[in-house]
Amino acid sequence: MASITLDSVTKRFGDTCAVQGVSLSVPSGAFLSLVGPSGCGKTTLLRMLAGLETPTEGEIRFDGEAIDRLPPGRRDVAMVFQSYALYPQMTVAQNLAYPLRKRGVPKAERATRVAEVAGMLELEPLLQRRPRQLSGGQQQRVALGRALIREPRVFLLDEPLSNLDATLRTHMRREIGDLHRRLARTMVYVTHDQLEAMTMSTHIAVFDGGQLQQIGSPEDVYHRPANRTVASFIGSPAMAFLDAEAEDVGGAAVLRLAGHIVAALPRMPARRHMVVGIRPEDVRVADGGIAARVIGVENAGHEAIARLSTTAGDIAARLPAGPAPRAGDALAILPAADRLHLFHAETGARLTLNPRAPSAAVAPSALGHLQD
Amino acid sequence: MKRSAILGAMRQVSTWMLILALATPLLWMALTSFKPESELFAIPISILPEEWTIEAYRLLIEETAFLTYFRNSVVVAAATTMLVVVVGALGAYSLVRFRYPGREWIAGLALVSYLLPSLVLIVPIYLMMVAAGLANTLASLVIAYTSFALPYSLWLLRSFMAGVPEELEAAAMIDGASRMGAFVDVVLPQALPGIISTALFTFILAWNEYLFALVLVNADAQRPLTTGVMTMLVSGFNVEWSLLMAASVMMSVPLILVLAFLQSYLVRGFGAGAVKG
Repeated sequence: MASITLDSVTKRFGDTCAVQGVSLSVPSGAFLSLVGPSGCGKTTLLRMLAGLETPTEGEIRFDGEAIDRLPPGRRDVAMVFQSYALYPQMTVAQNLAYPLRKRGVPKAERATRVAEVAGMLELEPLLQRRPRQLSGGQQQRVALGRALIREPRVFLLDEPLSNLDATLRTHMRREIGDLHRRLARTMVYVTHDQLEAMTMSTHIAVFDGGQLQQIGSPEDVYHRPANRTVASFIGSPAMAFLDAEAEDVGGAAVLRLAGHIVAALPRMPARRHMVVGIRPEDVRVADGGIAARVIGVENAGHEAIARLSTTAGDIAARLPAGPAPRAGDALAILPAADRLHLFHAETGARLTLNPRAPSAAVAPSALGHLQD
Repeated sequence: MKRSAILGAMRQVSTWMLILALATPLLWMALTSFKPESELFAIPISILPEEWTIEAYRLLIEETAFLTYFRNSVVVAAATTMLVVVVGALGAYSLVRFRYPGREWIAGLALVSYLLPSLVLIVPIYLMMVAAGLANTLASLVIAYTSFALPYSLWLLRSFMAGVPEELEAAAMIDGASRMGAFVDVVLPQALPGIISTALFTFILAWNEYLFALVLVNADAQRPLTTGVMTMLVSGFNVEWSLLMAASVMMSVPLILVLAFLQSYLVRGFGAGAVKG
C-alpha cells in the first residue's frame, strides 16, 4: 500500500515523446485510472511505474521514496497484462506460486497462499491445468491471482478486461472494484474504456498526446472537464460541441446558440465567440426551443439516444422511455442552462463562467426580437 | 469407396517400398557386422548370417583404438553442442530483445558466413589453429564445428525467440526474476523446440564431420571416429569389411539414441499458446 507521486516525468523514444512532463499524486489506497485514446502515453506511464521503462526525465516516488532506478522485481508492484502473460509451460498453481518462489517463500507457505488465492478467485478446480486449457475469463482470474498472491504495494493493470466479452467484462469490472475495496491497496488501471474508469476509480487521469489533461475524481472529470479533449473523451455518447456567442442584451450577458438565448452569463467574457459543450442527458424537448431534425435513433428500451441536426451542428439527446421520435422528425430542443460547458474557441480550455437559466425578462424579449 | 480403398493400399505399399529401399543399406551393414570373415564374399549371397558372431565387435573394442576414437567423438560432439546451444541461445536472445546499432547487420553477417563453403575456410582455420597452438587437439575441432553450426543456430533460435511475447518476460521480471532469471524461466521453455532442433543439428554435424577432422588432427590419440576408423581399417590394399561394418553400427547407435530421445521433446513443445488474442 503506497501513495504514488510523479514529478515532471518525461519519456522519449528517440525523437518521439511518449510522455511529456507528467506530474500527479494519488494517496495510498487510491484507484487511479489512466485513460485516453490509443497512443496517448498511458501504457508507457504504467510501464514506467512497473520499471519496464526508465523515465528520460523526472522522478517517480512510492510513499515519498524514489523508485526510478529500482529494477521491476524490487519495486514491490504486481501487474496484470492485457494479454494476461501467463507462463504457458507452468500449471495454474505454478503460475500463482511463481512470484512467491522468486522471493524465496518456503514451499509450505507457498502452497497455503496458492490455496487462499485460488479460493478467493474460485480457481480450485483449475489448479493443475495449463493456461492454454483455460477460457479467456479463467486466464484473466489466474493473472489477477498471480498479482494478488504477493500482496504488493501497488497493483498495475493494463487494460485487463479488453479481451473479454461484454457480460464477463461487466462481471469482472465489479469484481475488481470489490477487490479494491476489500484489499484497500493502491491500484493503477489503464483503460481506453471511459465507462470502466468512471465506475471503478477514485481518481481519473485523462491523457492525450503524452500530456496529462486532467486528474480528478470521476465526478470532476465528468462534470467539470478541464478542456474539450477531456470533455469529448469522458461520457458516452460523447458531448456535443456547438459554436455560440456571448451577447449584451440590455446590460445583461447572455449566451446565444443557434439564434436562441440559452443561458445567462455572470459577466461578459473577453471573447464573445466560444464553444459550448452539451451532454446528451442535458438536452430536453421544449416547444419554442432550437429547431432540430432527427438523423437517427438508438432505442435501448429504458431510454433512447436521438442524433439531431441543428443549424449550429449535430447534437445527441438522451430521451426518456416512451414513444421515440423517428428519423426525419422535426423537434425543438433546449439544453439545461446550468449544465452547459463553456470552452475557449481556440485553446479548448474550460472557461470559468457559470451559466445559469436566462431570466424570464430577457429570454422572451430576445426570442421575440429574433423572430421579427 | 472401393476406389479410395485401392488408392490407400497403393499408398501403403509404395510407402513401405520406399522405407525398405532406404533401410536396406543400414540393414545390410548391421547383418554383415555379425557375419564371420569367411561368409562376407561367399557366393551365393546369404542375407542372414549362417553363423552369428560378435567377433568383429570384440576385436574392435579389445584390440584397436576404437574406444579412444569413440570417446573423442563423444567429447567433441557434446562440447560443440553445449557451446553452440549456449552461445546461440544468448546471441539470438540479444538479437531479438535488445536494441543496439548494427544489430540487423550482425544477424545478416552471420547468415553470410554460413553460406561460405567449408573448403574455403579449411586453410585459414588450420593456420589459425596452428598459430593458437591448438593443432592436433580436440579443442580445434570443437572451435571449427562451432563456427559452422553457430550461424545457422542463431537464425533458427532467433525466429523461435521472436515468437516469445515480451510481456511474458516483463511479467517474470515484475514477479521478481532478474533478466537472466526471466530468460531461463520463461524464454528458454518457450524456445525449447528450437533449442532441441539446434542441438540435434549440431550434434549430427559434429559427429559425422570428416574433412576438418582429417586436416586439423593428425595425432592418433586425438582422432574422432570418422577419421580414426577410416585410417585404421581402410588402407590402400585392404579394407577390413567386417570390422568396418561393426564400427559403422556402433557409430550409428549414439545418433539413433539421441534422435529417439529428443524427437519426443521436439514435438511436445509445439503449439503451446502463451498469449491470447
